Amino acid sequence: MIEDLTFIAQISIKSSVAVLLATVGGIINERSGVLNLGIEGMMLVGALAGFAAGHFTGSPLLAVAAGALAGGMLSLVHAFFTIGLRSNQVLSGLALTILGTGLANFLGRPLIGQTGVRIRQLPVPYLADIPVIGDILFNQSPFAYAAYLLVPLAWFVLFQTRTGLILRAVGEDARSADVAGVNVPLTRTLSVFVGGLFAGLAGTYLSLSYTPGWKETMTGGQGWIAIAMIIFCFWNPLLAFFGALLFGGLTALQFFFQATSMDLIPSYVLKMLPYLLTIGVLVMVSASSKRRKSASPADLGVPFYREL
Amino acid sequence: MIRIEKRIQPLRYQGIFAATSAVVIAFVVGCAIFAGLGVNPLTAYAAMGKGVFSSADAFSEVLVKATPLIFTGLAVATAAVMMLWNIGAEGQLVWGGICAAGAALFLFPQTQPWLLIPLVLTASALGGMVWALIPALLKAKLRVNEILTTLLLNYVAIIYMEHLFYGPWRDPAGFGFPGTAQIPEAAQLLRFAGTRISLGFPLALLCAVMLYYLLYKSVWGYQVRVIGKELRAARYAGFNVTGKILAVMALSGAFAGMAGMVEVCGIHYRLQTGLAVGYGYDGIIVAWLAGLNPLVVPFTAILLGALFVGGEQLQSVLGLPSTISLILEGALLFGLFTGQTLVRYTVTISGRSKEVS
Amino acid sequence: MADPVISLSKVTKRFGPVWANREVDLDLFPGRVHALLGENGAGKSTLMSILAGRYSADGGTMMMHGREVSFNSPAKALDHGIGMVYQRFMLIESMTVSENLALSAGKAHGRTGIDQVIHQTAERYGLGVDPEKRVFELSMGERQRVEIIKLLMLDAEVLIFDEPTSVLTPPEVDALFEVIDQLRAEGKTIVLITHKLEEVLKLADDISIMRKGRLVFSERIDARQMSRQQLARLMVGRDVVLRVDKKEVAVGETILALQGVSGDSPLGGPSYTDVTLEIKQGEIFSIIGVAGNGQVGLVSAITGLSQARSGTITFDGATYNAREWRMASREKIAYVPEDRYHSGSIGAMSIADNFALTRLAAYRSGMAGMVLDREKMAADGTRAIRDHNIKVESSEDSAGSLSGGNLQKVILARELTRNAKLFVAEQPTQGLDISATEEIWRALLECREKAAVLLVTGDLKEVLSLSDRIGVIFNGRILEIIDAHDSDQVDRVGLLMAGVRT
Repeated sequence: MIEDLTFIAQISIKSSVAVLLATVGGIINERSGVLNLGIEGMMLVGALAGFAAGHFTGSPLLAVAAGALAGGMLSLVHAFFTIGLRSNQVLSGLALTILGTGLANFLGRPLIGQTGVRIRQLPVPYLADIPVIGDILFNQSPFAYAAYLLVPLAWFVLFQTRTGLILRAVGEDARSADVAGVNVPLTRTLSVFVGGLFAGLAGTYLSLSYTPGWKETMTGGQGWIAIAMIIFCFWNPLLAFFGALLFGGLTALQFFFQATSMDLIPSYVLKMLPYLLTIGVLVMVSASSKRRKSASPADLGVPFYREL
Repeated sequence: MIRIEKRIQPLRYQGIFAATSAVVIAFVVGCAIFAGLGVNPLTAYAAMGKGVFSSADAFSEVLVKATPLIFTGLAVATAAVMMLWNIGAEGQLVWGGICAAGAALFLFPQTQPWLLIPLVLTASALGGMVWALIPALLKAKLRVNEILTTLLLNYVAIIYMEHLFYGPWRDPAGFGFPGTAQIPEAAQLLRFAGTRISLGFPLALLCAVMLYYLLYKSVWGYQVRVIGKELRAARYAGFNVTGKILAVMALSGAFAGMAGMVEVCGIHYRLQTGLAVGYGYDGIIVAWLAGLNPLVVPFTAILLGALFVGGEQLQSVLGLPSTISLILEGALLFGLFTGQTLVRYTVTISGRSKEVS
Repeated sequence: MADPVISLSKVTKRFGPVWANREVDLDLFPGRVHALLGENGAGKSTLMSILAGRYSADGGTMMMHGREVSFNSPAKALDHGIGMVYQRFMLIESMTVSENLALSAGKAHGRTGIDQVIHQTAERYGLGVDPEKRVFELSMGERQRVEIIKLLMLDAEVLIFDEPTSVLTPPEVDALFEVIDQLRAEGKTIVLITHKLEEVLKLADDISIMRKGRLVFSERIDARQMSRQQLARLMVGRDVVLRVDKKEVAVGETILALQGVSGDSPLGGPSYTDVTLEIKQGEIFSIIGVAGNGQVGLVSAITGLSQARSGTITFDGATYNAREWRMASREKIAYVPEDRYHSGSIGAMSIADNFALTRLAAYRSGMAGMVLDREKMAADGTRAIRDHNIKVESSEDSAGSLSGGNLQKVILARELTRNAKLFVAEQPTQGLDISATEEIWRALLECREKAAVLLVTGDLKEVLSLSDRIGVIFNGRILEIIDAHDSDQVDRVGLLMAGVRT
């Protein structure tokens, strides 16, 4: 029984890493006031670039760097159109997903079924020996450890540093931030880029570690889940841990039922659950924030430009 | 330094200008990709063009692809006129398909053709409508963001459909092939002279015209457009915003549901994997490329249909992945944004502005 | 006399076809308060926004201490010691005072340093404010103090105030004036944008007047020696008409009566409490008050846009519970809303479309009234354009292309055609030039011959020119209702607006 639970917990974490990274990246770019619905596309491109770099160079480090960077580069397309040309953020994000999916599928065609670099789970010395907890938390892929560090780091930067203050100010009230001497377009562009790096990294985790290899549409909607999680977490990276775990937990349960041939819940219901629960969470968040001031950045989705 | 200023006098023929620049930019992007792959862009485009225009048969395939796209384009446009984002046309299409197949196979299998097809069409419209009403209700009553709910429900719809044709609805005589049995002949849409173009195409055109009249010539449409353009003015004038959200999303879902019906009853004749191939998402491009004008939607749908057929042609003639059409789709949208910006603003690119201190 | 700190010459700025500033020359001197006067839309704020780096000029030069400068951002201007307190405060509402200040301070002060600076500045100028409070919790006066601290913290040499008193209570105004006096004594250069003559008379050393983008008067005189009349004439270009031709109209029966109505403003604005009043056929009843005293909520309850909490409302003989009134009110009340750009009209639609907004019933035709009668809409639109002297090419032009005055005339024309029993006009002439204002006043006076008129405004001149009775609102309560024909009582309106009951 304990072993089953440990197994489920371990798989939960394993299944939540990509969503977690993408969510935190999304939080960073939404905190600056830019909505980017292109996470799914950036994850796919990141997954492909990471896999391809690994396949051709054999270097895990280069693979990770290439994956993250690919996501970042694609996000700059969104930045150019929404910040530079003031295009609609919703449409541009959707276009980014379409473009990213197209690019990844097109360029990745020859790589289907190839082998590349695998980043396996790596027990942390000493910590992994702690009973139960060690197995759950510290017998994971290095991506998970990176997430353990990046998530609190993102929180710290956002809420405890001057950089974070500037970033949040731009997302709350771009006009006032501008008058206070902040370079609004630059701040927003950088935030979008960081969001892209995180999404790319999330995709790389999928193609190097979680399900090594390249498959078309291998993100399976995790980018969209991440977008919902951003709201679920009230734009706070620390809460993203819980949001991502919720998703990971459901995925793990699905594996568990499959592995043990237990059929407590039909598998199609389990497959739907993450989406249904996310909708449920959105409803709860909306219902509860109806009365009090919502945590959403006030200028989210509002383009900024200073009349000259 | 890019300097963007609002035009005093907006360009005339804005929509045409924006759409044209979208096509031009997508064309240029395509050239770059082909060149990057070592293929002469002219050869590639020639292959695409040949695939589309070489014969009436080839062009008929474009209209086949355009048919569901007109419906989903109308679905997206209907909602977008009121500033609602229906990203869920895909899921509503799936429910339309499920209801069409269910009605034809299980509910009214023995009905006369003249009655069965209207029944099946109604069922599919209702299916799409109900699926769209979920996010609409959440939006209207609890202000839940419809972008995410419509989108997440797509996954739910697809998973459910797969469950149906892998499980309870699977054709017992289908040798394990995932899919339902073929729908009765009475439920199959009439096809035109040896092509795969079905009655669905004229039906789609009819819907486009009807939507145009509804939006621009009726009191209801006037109110919908006011709500979309200036919500506060609509509140001031006392329009029933909540009711309109529900009605508009229901109509939008019905269009998408009918897209599912024309696919099931006009093309596949059964519920199977080929149903959810992204027409719902493509509808977003169709609608915005058309400037949300229902009368332009059929043209942009045909354009996108030609792109798909051309893309398939590339694969069979030059061995290039047909997913290139997805990239071109993305480029079309980004080209549209560029066009929209050029229409609304003047853009000057200059050196750093003077700065003396 | 010292050399000018700032010297503008031939500064020109266009917004599309509109000349906001046309070849403006202006000198600002240290240790003096320079009042920049003019009506709304005269170009004062634009000129100062150019100086503060928010806009860039299309022509002309700016000199500071004899050297040419030009700023492409507010930050650059601040680097040079030029800062502006905007009418709409530039503070991030969800953040604390000290976070806001830290944002502006750049790297100059650390986190702990900020609190010290706030403390020091507060002490020196009497600008007390709690650094840990979030901006949305502060009063308007406190927010303004934060803005001033922001500029002082950066050692601003030139401080521009854009209509600083428009949102303040009288004691806050006095405190602000003391701060300005002190800054002047320290040798700072102060610009005061205003259209209130009293402030000029009280504070200014120099005075410039703008009209239609041009500087029409600029003197280094002791403004305090000028008379109100002189100033007013300079500002408007001719004598201000304070009296309009008011026909005697017989007062009829009560159209609207509020009995103990209380409620909250939509969107969490200030509430209104226990409001009792009646408005009769044939009179203009005004509600006047400083912005933010509950008028917005009260009007939205009367017009049925929001729901009151308690009380009863009687309209045209029928009495409603204030909570149920909302459902009954819509058709019967004509309403010219304060926000003419986003509530009163739809910029992206044609004038004909706008003319139908609240009168859709008139255009229902065919198929059980579902079809919109476009021909009639166009005909009515064209007639309204002619009758109300609206300057456009055709009724198919978009409402967004109209000037403020012409747009207001469209809205007014639309609401007048509804022939309602109650006509509500909210800040109807805000931001309009004199001639548009006069046309709208005339229309309101005409309207009272057929209906009861409720005028809600903050403009004393308007109230005194038009009203038959005046209700003064303060802190959500109607303090007193005054007969406008009783000249002894009328003098008290200004004091009552400040909450002073004598």
